Amino acid sequence: MKKSLLVAVLATACVGLAGCQDFLSSTEATKDPNNPTRATIDQSFIAVQSNGFAILEGAVPHDVCMWLQQCGGVGGRTFEEQGAYQIQPGDVSGDFTGIYVGGGLVDIRRVQAAADAAGDKFYGGVARVWEAVFMSFAADVWGDIPYSEAVGSSATPKFDDQMQVYADLQTLLDRAITDLESNAGVGPGVADLVFRDKPAAQQRKAWVEVAHTLKARLYLHTVEKLGAAQYAKALAEAQKGISSPANDFKSQHSTATSERNMWVQFATTSFGPDIVAGAFLTNLMNAQNDPRRAEYFGKNSKGGYGGYDVTTGNSADASLISPLTGSGRNGDGSFRQPFITYAENQLIIAEASLQAGNTAAALAAYNAERASYALPSATSVSLATVMTEKYIALFQNIEAWADYKRTCLPALKPAAGEAEIPGRFYYGSSEQNANPNTPSAGDQLAKNGFRNTNDPAACK
Amino acid sequence: MAFSVCRARLATALIALLPVVAAAQEPSIVRGRVTAENAVTLPGVAIAIPELGLGAITRDDGTYSISIPAGRVSGQSVTLTARRVGYRPKSARITLGSGATTQDFALEANPLQLGEVVVTGAGTATEVEKLGNVRNTVQAELIQKSNETNIVTALSGKAPNVQITTTSGDPGASAAIRIRGLRTLSGTGQPLFVIDGIPIDNSAQSTTAFNVVDEPANAESEGATFPNRAIDINPNDIENIEILKGPAAAAIYGARAANGVILITTKHGGAGRTSYALRSSYSTDQVTRFMPLQRSWGQGLGGVAAGDCEDPTSQPQCLRSWGPRVSGETFDHSREAFRDGHITDNNLSVTGGNDRTAFFLSGGYNANNGVFVGPNNFFDRASVRLNASHDVMQGLNVGGNFAYSDTKGHFTQRGNNVNGLLLGLFRTPPTFNNQPFLDASSGLHRSYRMQNPDPTTAGLDRGFNNPFYTLYGQLNQAQATREFGNITAQYLANSWLKFNYSLGADYSNDERLEGCGPEASDVCAGGRVTEGKIVNYQIDHNLTATANYRLSDKYAGTVTLGQNLNARNSRQLGVVGRTLVAPEPFNLGNTVVRDLPFSTLSQIHNESYFGQGTLDLYNQLFLTAALRNDGSSTFGPENRRNWFPKGSVAWNFTNAFTPPRWLSFGKLRVSYGEAGQEPAPYLTSTTFNGTVLLGGITQGTGNSPTQAGLGGLSTSTVKGAENLRPERTKETEGGIDIGLFNQAADISLTFYNAISQDVILVTPLAPSSGFFVQAQNSGKFQNHGAEVSVNVRALTRPNYAWEIGGGWAKNVSKVVDLAGVDYIPLDGTFNQTPYNVARQGLPLGTYYDYGFVKCGVSPEGMDAAVPNVDLATVCKDQPKGALYIGANGFPVGDDNIRVIGNPNPDWTGNARTSFRYRKLSLSGLLDIRRGGQVYNGTKSALYSYGTHMDTENRATCNASGLVCTGNEKTFGQNGWFDGPVVGPGANKAVSIGENWYRRGLGPCAFTGYNESCLEDASYVKLREISASYSFDGPWVQRALGLSNFEVRLSGRNLKTWAKYTGLDPETNGGGAVQRTQGIDYFNLPQSRSIVLSVGLNR
Repeated sequence: MKKSLLVAVLATACVGLAGCQDFLSSTEATKDPNNPTRATIDQSFIAVQSNGFAILEGAVPHDVCMWLQQCGGVGGRTFEEQGAYQIQPGDVSGDFTGIYVGGGLVDIRRVQAAADAAGDKFYGGVARVWEAVFMSFAADVWGDIPYSEAVGSSATPKFDDQMQVYADLQTLLDRAITDLESNAGVGPGVADLVFRDKPAAQQRKAWVEVAHTLKARLYLHTVEKLGAAQYAKALAEAQKGISSPANDFKSQHSTATSERNMWVQFATTSFGPDIVAGAFLTNLMNAQNDPRRAEYFGKNSKGGYGGYDVTTGNSADASLISPLTGSGRNGDGSFRQPFITYAENQLIIAEASLQAGNTAAALAAYNAERASYALPSATSVSLATVMTEKYIALFQNIEAWADYKRTCLPALKPAAGEAEIPGRFYYGSSEQNANPNTPSAGDQLAKNGFRNTNDPAACK
Repeated sequence: MAFSVCRARLATALIALLPVVAAAQEPSIVRGRVTAENAVTLPGVAIAIPELGLGAITRDDGTYSISIPAGRVSGQSVTLTARRVGYRPKSARITLGSGATTQDFALEANPLQLGEVVVTGAGTATEVEKLGNVRNTVQAELIQKSNETNIVTALSGKAPNVQITTTSGDPGASAAIRIRGLRTLSGTGQPLFVIDGIPIDNSAQSTTAFNVVDEPANAESEGATFPNRAIDINPNDIENIEILKGPAAAAIYGARAANGVILITTKHGGAGRTSYALRSSYSTDQVTRFMPLQRSWGQGLGGVAAGDCEDPTSQPQCLRSWGPRVSGETFDHSREAFRDGHITDNNLSVTGGNDRTAFFLSGGYNANNGVFVGPNNFFDRASVRLNASHDVMQGLNVGGNFAYSDTKGHFTQRGNNVNGLLLGLFRTPPTFNNQPFLDASSGLHRSYRMQNPDPTTAGLDRGFNNPFYTLYGQLNQAQATREFGNITAQYLANSWLKFNYSLGADYSNDERLEGCGPEASDVCAGGRVTEGKIVNYQIDHNLTATANYRLSDKYAGTVTLGQNLNARNSRQLGVVGRTLVAPEPFNLGNTVVRDLPFSTLSQIHNESYFGQGTLDLYNQLFLTAALRNDGSSTFGPENRRNWFPKGSVAWNFTNAFTPPRWLSFGKLRVSYGEAGQEPAPYLTSTTFNGTVLLGGITQGTGNSPTQAGLGGLSTSTVKGAENLRPERTKETEGGIDIGLFNQAADISLTFYNAISQDVILVTPLAPSSGFFVQAQNSGKFQNHGAEVSVNVRALTRPNYAWEIGGGWAKNVSKVVDLAGVDYIPLDGTFNQTPYNVARQGLPLGTYYDYGFVKCGVSPEGMDAAVPNVDLATVCKDQPKGALYIGANGFPVGDDNIRVIGNPNPDWTGNARTSFRYRKLSLSGLLDIRRGGQVYNGTKSALYSYGTHMDTENRATCNASGLVCTGNEKTFGQNGWFDGPVVGPGANKAVSIGENWYRRGLGPCAFTGYNESCLEDASYVKLREISASYSFDGPWVQRALGLSNFEVRLSGRNLKTWAKYTGLDPETNGGGAVQRTQGIDYFNLPQSRSIVLSVGLNR
């Protein structure tokens, strides 16, 4: 009896042991059951685009909109402070990170590698334009950025000079245009969220145009540093740029909770009311009875349009301030935010033509842009009118900030008690924390008066 | 189990099997009375006749009686033993005959419990004097006296360096336990819970975690506070709790024991008369402290009244209370949401058994109605337990412990959450009456930012919830069923070899339902329903074989070998529905759209072998060595198995010589152990993510990589870590236990040093490398400290006794190595300020944030902290910490992030006393915490909102709120930021009003620097106080049929002494879920109770 019990106990132990084969290392025990371990080229590309839209509509444009006085920051909380230039290194860290990690450059490169492996130059070209969109945004905002060593084998990529990044992006866009025009490959098809409604040939054409307009834009970004020769290059590119508003590079959204336009998402949070219309922009638009006001702003409680004036730091009569909610843009989750447009392209032509002394061409381009918004034609044109129109047209678009830093137009007054409108952001605190190549906050402040390399002179 | 007990049982079984040869006789009765040496009667003493397997428990008058059936009485001699915890066992030989035999006992007190058996985990046990570690035991009586619903909370103030933080006084709120400091950044840093030998789940989770869209980053610190699962255990069922504080004691649990182990033993029956105990209690609970709020200034900005407030989306003037001085009626928002709560607790237990079978059966119902007004503040628990064992045959005992509990609670939203209770409540201007919370004509939610809603506002955002809408109109329900239990078999193969087997399971199914009505605020506007389900399942198999050996009188010991298999499975499924079709019910079917479902599964397998050997030398030197080999599915393939050793020495030096009379016991002990913390599952591979992208904007929004009906997948920001190992804590502990004056006093002193290496750091990577974080075995932490316990039994007379005792503990935490990373936030979330961080050279959890420019703290050099100023020049010869005052007379913000404080206490302690006069007992327990800081984020926000009492004195400001006169203060003087000041504006008087509290750089939230809202977290709490009287006279038996009954009046958390100006310094936004410490941002208040209880025994 005793023996048989002992056997039974030992048998239990053996069953226990036998059950241990693969007990620790079986797929069931070790494979992540919650997340996919593979992704197709289309799935990666969709993520890249979603992430791109989120960044292009994200915290950086929110702040820039306030700095450029297209928007105003109120409410006595974070956004009022940021609107009055109180920024800290952590503020847009998520956006800096988003440029590179999942949905950013690391996945853009996955898409490119998959397209190249499949010999799909169309898809590869589109992915390269997207790379230029991401990286030019980063160079515009932060100046010197990790690029040549980014998302590669280096754990701590070096920071490349901003001017070199712009030069590299020109080369990248040239390659993209060549690839797109080679007619090889089938491209992303409906996975192309920007031009998914177009047939492949028009999709390809639209991307070529976007690439040229982006090249033109980036040439303008180097004017202050490299001189007037860049205007001619910009003009040449813009002439091959976006040929109609139908080819505008815009985001794609839906009304599903997590697929909405980020400005709309922001407006529905408790901080939403903290960003309102900016007085400078509403005044300009009121003066010309601008039809875009209903798209940009909600009506104030008096039924009109007005904005917050950061230059006096005084909220004055709150009932005169327009919110962003209730507008065409920020009332609709599926609103497609414009980023690189026909309007911008025409105004680049206008500005570059003026710089070349060709006033007639400038006026034609200026009026073409105005016509696209159903504004009456003008009979004369100046740099100030072109840049002011561009400032209005590029509402919520950080390109208006690049224009301002370059031309100091329109002539904005800085916020009360401040000497100038900020020229850049601090690097993300995540990069600061883990990459010793990141300049310290103090070094960033000290370098060129907290302005990027392409912006040697401040607007005072 | 001590072998002696087993031998006795073996003998019992043998005798029981003997054929009955004696002739029938009269039944025999053995009776008597048990007293302590000082003649105090002793109830609860187990009297047994091992040969016959019979026994009884003494009644409250110390008497017992055992009836022996005539058939078993043959005039034989038997041994009668008397045992009680805290007394030396005694035995007597008696001869059984017909009729009555009287045998009294006088037991010698054994307050140090020498010779008594202590479970040391994983099937091992030893005796108190042989233990190489400090012992921390909490007995049933102390748990019952605490009157806590949650056993974790019941441990408050019971053992040195066992720090309990209860999230709030919300019924059922989670409590976090931390032993000897935090040593990991994985999991919650809490100890492993083991009940009757089976590891159980003590996790806590917020329903908000199912909602990845609205609050991806702060899920656990917002939403409601849900229980930690140990709340499923009925405290009345607990016999005792052994706390193994760290690896030196707990290494036998290997990779799960680095944070210590809580060993819970439930009550078991014994042979003897079946006895019944009914215990009922009723409490009255109140909020411990109220927030000081001003009632002099109305809604508005810049001294201008807000006017009509009907649109929370665009009326900044309606948000705050910086309007004109009020003359009319005001309302007390500090108290209006609170009421008296009540806890009703009823428990019935039945215990008994015979020579072969013993059982304990209990049932309890705890109904806890909380201190917040409205129908949604309760927690109810029904529980049953059956513990039984049976001697099947000679040497074989089988048993089972089964428990079932059913809990249901409605909780309250809190924290940084516009739908939380206190955020809306404390921000309400004193002029606004929050009641009625529904508009009289439209029936819709009215809040101070939308005061007269009409039907056109149905389904729209209210800005901040009216607190009564939060209390009446929101639902946060958790309903859980839990089954845990095990079956055991114990087999004595022969006189020296024993097998122990247990197979246990722990299953819980927790169903969540959260709903906010159509007129809730922010992301809840339109109404929102979250349904979720958390199923945790664990199976544990444990087999041990223990051999006893005795080479001679001088050499003896045991050898134990064991195997353990453990499988844990956790499944979570949740869906968020948005926009209610009809205002009720809160049901997913009643919503217009649904988010993507939240669905996760995790599975962990462990396979382990362990062994332990002990050697007793000369009955005074006791050596123990143990080794465990753990394998886990969470370890990387290269490191699938890991070893965890331990060794200890205990020397009873008073056995080595004849000690002086005053020294009655002395033991020196030293031990070393290694234990681990296993990685979270699935960190070893890089995956793709289809839910939320990192980019975009803060404040509750996120973009998914799915757009336009096309599913996208982004590369996970977490880089896979193929070679992950468990974290390893190496702890060395040494100490001395001394008994004095025949054990009238005892002192225990312990020092320890724990080095945690291979700490898994979710290490930030440079985002430009393509990944955000990677788990790496790269950190090294240290916790070292000292613990002291003292007990003095000052008086031990028959009619009165007095005891005092106390504990003191200090833990010093230090981040030794962080693998070159500057800092790591404790909870992986990157957008909470102030951050609790790990930073090299500093205590773990250090507050990290921006602060004012200060000498010796801010970076010196031109422009480094102040534009156009070289701080080195200004600060020359100035004391460190001198506050830099700008030309305008105000401090200046420093944009260089830095250490601003430390949440860890300097030391913690407790002091208790008990006094008895005849049947009247009085006792009290103080829980003390000294030092460390807590972030008073609630105050900080209320400064900006102008509702805090401190803003009552305010300057008169113009409409911008920037230009002010009156209420002049000088920084550094007269209680206003006292301390040295430097800079161009030093000693300049400035007006303090809206300019400072709302628009300035000053106090904390939104615009300022959190540094000035860190406050001293020291407290002294009167945790428990109780007075009881026991009635056990003959009339009790005669009139009531009871052996005795006890009436007790007690108090819980009756008084808190603290400098903290918020609700309670015992608080933490992250509850039992996060590793953060000392973050108070609209956290719910704590509660205190007065409890009347009656216990009936039969």
